Amino acid sequence: MAIKDTIKPTRSELIGLKKKIKLSESGHKLLKMKRDGLIIELFDILNKAKNVRSEVEKDYEIAQQNLNIAKAIEGVVAVKSTAFALKDAPVITLESKNVMGVVVPRIESTSVKKNIIERGYGIIGTSSRIDEAADAYENLVEKIIIAAEIETTMKKLLDDIEKTKRRVNALEFKVIPELSEAMDFIMLRLEEMEREEIFRLKKIKS
Amino acid sequence: MELAVVGQSEFTLGFRLAGVKKVYDITDDNLIEIVQNTMHNPEVGIIVMHNDDLLRLPAQLMAELNESVEPTVVAIGGKGESNLREKIKQSVGVDLWK
Repeated sequence: MAIKDTIKPTRSELIGLKKKIKLSESGHKLLKMKRDGLIIELFDILNKAKNVRSEVEKDYEIAQQNLNIAKAIEGVVAVKSTAFALKDAPVITLESKNVMGVVVPRIESTSVKKNIIERGYGIIGTSSRIDEAADAYENLVEKIIIAAEIETTMKKLLDDIEKTKRRVNALEFKVIPELSEAMDFIMLRLEEMEREEIFRLKKIKS
Repeated sequence: MELAVVGQSEFTLGFRLAGVKKVYDITDDNLIEIVQNTMHNPEVGIIVMHNDDLLRLPAQLMAELNESVEPTVVAIGGKGESNLREKIKQSVGVDLWK
């Protein structure tokens, strides 16, 4: 059912509609600005996301190569036993920051990069090949944490862009046109009532 | 919060070397169960998976993983495309990932 079928053609309704249109228009303008701002933020982060993605893939290849060399030279059992001897796990802490009203995470990590002694396995029992593989995987984990932060931020920004875009479109193509149509209808109806009134008065006079 | 790695034992071994403790080795039968359990583990902040394993998941679970912010899923290796590309196309209307 269209708005004009449900409203009464009165002056108070017309005033109310005018206020609603003004509010919708200012909301539309603000939301459009927010959408544009979010898209600019997205552009800023997009290049970082692309770079970090390619770095992750490159580091993964290097880490895999180092691991394969370690496995070939030391044997799978030696690599596995070293892996199970490690002590500290990388810990990540999630903080949040606000980008144009969108709360995005800031991920910080501790105990990712460790020196040989901190790792917890014996230095004499293992070879440098295993150390190199562990080193490469620590680099990879660091990059993955950065990628996770950037990709989460992007996901949140994209979600908000979509939401804001939908709101802007709803206001632009549905709410404001319907309110304007209803306002036009009331104005026409009021003019007609006025004309009828004048005609009636003239008729009584004559 | 911690980082979790889900994948075949060859994929996860390296991450064990980096000190990651939440490492889940999968087989063909328990992939979905392990992924779901890891996803709902409140201690996990980031899930690392191989792209090929991600592609083996049912479409609904894969979409859920791609949308998930906490934990965030980072898929590496294989030939899978970044899930962000589709999302950018959907949200902005243009393929900016090119």
